[in-house]
Amino acid sequence: MAPSQMSYAPTLGKLLKSLNTQPLEASIEALVYLLKRRQVKGDDIANATAHMLLQVVAKSKWQNVDQLLAKVSNTGLRLAQAAPTEQVIGNVVRRVMGLIRDEASEDRNADEMGDSVSDLSQLPTTPTMPSRPGPTPLRAATLPMSKSMFNLLSVSEPVQSPVTGASTPMSQGASANMHALRSEVIDGIEEIMDEISQADDQIAGFADIQIHPGDYVLAYLPSPTVERFLIKAAAKRRFTVFLASTERQKPGEVPHAALRKKLDGLGVNTISLASNSLMAYMPRVNKVVIGAKAVYANGGVSTESGCSIAARAAREYSKPVIVLSGVYKFCPVDPSDDVTEFEQGDPSTFVDYADGEAVDALEVENIVAEYLPPQYVDVYLTNLGPQTRDHLATIMADHYESEDMGLSLHLP
Amino acid sequence: MATETTGAPAGAPAPQEKGKQQSKPAPSNTPTTGGDAAGEQKLTPAQLKAKAKAEKAARRAKAKEVKEVAPAAATADAKGGKGGKGGKQEGSQSAGSQQQGKSVPGRRPSVSNGRRPSIAIIKEDPRSSIPECFSHVPMAKRIQTSQAHKDVHPAVLAVGQQMATFALKDSIARLEATLLAFKKVIESYETPKGNSLSRHFVPHVLNPQIEYLTECRPMSFSMGNAIRFLKSQVNKFDIDTPEDEAKESLLEFIDIFINERITLAEVVISKNAAELIDEDGVVLTYGRHRLVEKTILRAKANGKKFAVSVIDDPYDQGGKELAKTLQRAGIRVFYSPNLGGLRAHLERASNVLLGTEAIFANGSLLAPAGTADVAMAASAANVKVVALCETINFDRERVSVDSLTYNEIDPERCSAESFRLMFDNTHSKYIAGVITEFESGTDFAPAQAILTLLRKREDPTIA
Repeated sequence: MAPSQMSYAPTLGKLLKSLNTQPLEASIEALVYLLKRRQVKGDDIANATAHMLLQVVAKSKWQNVDQLLAKVSNTGLRLAQAAPTEQVIGNVVRRVMGLIRDEASEDRNADEMGDSVSDLSQLPTTPTMPSRPGPTPLRAATLPMSKSMFNLLSVSEPVQSPVTGASTPMSQGASANMHALRSEVIDGIEEIMDEISQADDQIAGFADIQIHPGDYVLAYLPSPTVERFLIKAAAKRRFTVFLASTERQKPGEVPHAALRKKLDGLGVNTISLASNSLMAYMPRVNKVVIGAKAVYANGGVSTESGCSIAARAAREYSKPVIVLSGVYKFCPVDPSDDVTEFEQGDPSTFVDYADGEAVDALEVENIVAEYLPPQYVDVYLTNLGPQTRDHLATIMADHYESEDMGLSLHLP
Repeated sequence: MATETTGAPAGAPAPQEKGKQQSKPAPSNTPTTGGDAAGEQKLTPAQLKAKAKAEKAARRAKAKEVKEVAPAAATADAKGGKGGKGGKQEGSQSAGSQQQGKSVPGRRPSVSNGRRPSIAIIKEDPRSSIPECFSHVPMAKRIQTSQAHKDVHPAVLAVGQQMATFALKDSIARLEATLLAFKKVIESYETPKGNSLSRHFVPHVLNPQIEYLTECRPMSFSMGNAIRFLKSQVNKFDIDTPEDEAKESLLEFIDIFINERITLAEVVISKNAAELIDEDGVVLTYGRHRLVEKTILRAKANGKKFAVSVIDDPYDQGGKELAKTLQRAGIRVFYSPNLGGLRAHLERASNVLLGTEAIFANGSLLAPAGTADVAMAASAANVKVVALCETINFDRERVSVDSLTYNEIDPERCSAESFRLMFDNTHSKYIAGVITEFESGTDFAPAQAILTLLRKREDPTIA
């Protein structure tokens, strides 16, 4: 039943489709392998982790809250070890664990307080997702695009309240209690998944505030988040985009062709910089947009390699650096050690295997991810709006339980 | 251009288009000329005449354009050669190109189809694709040798082609080739009757060569400096100096110049810089520069034990060659194919050696794109950054604070799909010091101090 049996090339899409049909353990294993081979990248990782934890909550056997927490953190640990540089896995695990603790403490309260249903009916919505009240009206007001997704959410909410309501009277039986907890946690994880999938659209909603007519915007290795942001801005503004990357393009290959086509279609000029260094262009640039892989508690950002070059050059010319990051990428720990934040990648694109002498002789180090120190970032543009470094701690406190903040998924 | 529009035959396609077609490199458009001929048969003689007129206007406009492209880099020779150039130059140039328009197919010398023949054929006007915000930046340009001024010496023609194709790349290589070609020009020079070398040579012989070279690629600062010295040398001759004596003296001047400012400078700089390499240290460098390579090899030959981190520009990959050369010499080499690895490499580096193209009067470096990023990151990481530069590359007149003032566009990447500037500007605050051939021992000084020194040393020699 492993995905590899269905097709020769396992992909995340296939895995997610097969989640319901194959045993939990097989799914986890499959995802671990996908992560190890770096076949799941970027924002898919958060989504995949949430899906997998949902399966853990739904399928695995557990008798009490502690067992559930252990199972969740265990699975998280396995995923995190498969992709040790992806902080997002830890974030999602923390979120889910926080969710479980929340729901559990409500139920416990319910047990203690007997049948004060009125109190409970208010509780479930607020503490589960502290961020919800904030973004919800915003999303409805400013983002016509995400309306369909919003409907999806608003459907799930009415479902949720009957469940919570039903759970209270039945909470005398422990198993019934656990059953209710299970469905509540599942609902919560689905909300997290919604948040992850909508984050890019919500961030893009702030595009026209950040980008002004006539701007020259430098997008360094644009991630899907950055692409959506630029496209959204292009619908309203006339500006010029510099696209830069570290990769040398093959002759005849146009970098970021799809993005360029879309932006051109909207009347926005794009210039691909065939350059690794950005100092030369910086006098011309008005702002730099960078997509984050993770944002740490101190405000440092884990990014694609080379972003610190762009950010440092921007600082030299006092140009603002805008980091785009969904709140789910906020990581409530400080970066452990700068050196460990480098991730090395495949060097064969740079030194050809045909070049035998170079293969033998050189110690080629192609770094694909690096750490951007907080002093180089001016704005963190999240799905909750633009934030500064000072407010990161508040946001993190809102989204993670303090017990889970210290959770370490990177133990040997 | 006015003639072009008025003289356009009514039935013919848009005149500009035709002008463009015609101005395409002649050898490549045999099919198009065929098509043209077919079209021509339908035209009346009067229309033909009008068309020829339009074409002539277009050619003239193009010749003018070419001149405009030739950048401010020529300022260095502004003193010497302004008088002779102006009107006469333009007339003779368009006349030349006109004449060549007729006889092109047979005349195309083999130099131009040597290295990258595709370029001339694909791009009609490479400058048209440059994004508007960079349209002020000059770009090297392949000129058909057949389109060059008739007075350009064959040796200079060859050098020009090599510069346009970047076979001669860094400032010193170009300087040396230029000077050697000029030696040939001087050797073959004969003063016309009733003229004197000191009056005739510069405006009528030297300036066309310089102009051609500038068209091929904006002159490097070192070339500007050297040409200024050469011109002042010519001006020093008394009007009655015998031609042979003057030529002899000029040839000797160039030889000494090459010896002192290029050959000896290289030896002295690499010797001084080699002392800066720490035993058991790690030297970081960016791309490939001749002086840095010489320095590292010399330090190795001196018996030092150290490693080298080579950061490369993925669009140039000169660093890979450097890395291989060093590896062959038995030096341990870490290689990062792009700037992404910069911070990791800096963490173990003990100092940074950078090669430069030129140094401005305010101490800024003009160096291959990416140097500024390396220098900035290094000084942020408290790693000492030392630039290596011959004094001939110092410019005492120009000041640059950003990279868009003096730069060049990579002619292979000059469109919105792929755009690249070749140099960037490194602020002097990121440079611990510059090593030149004038400094003794292991001392090195900030660039501004060297400029003062240069002024003292050179002032008497400047006319």
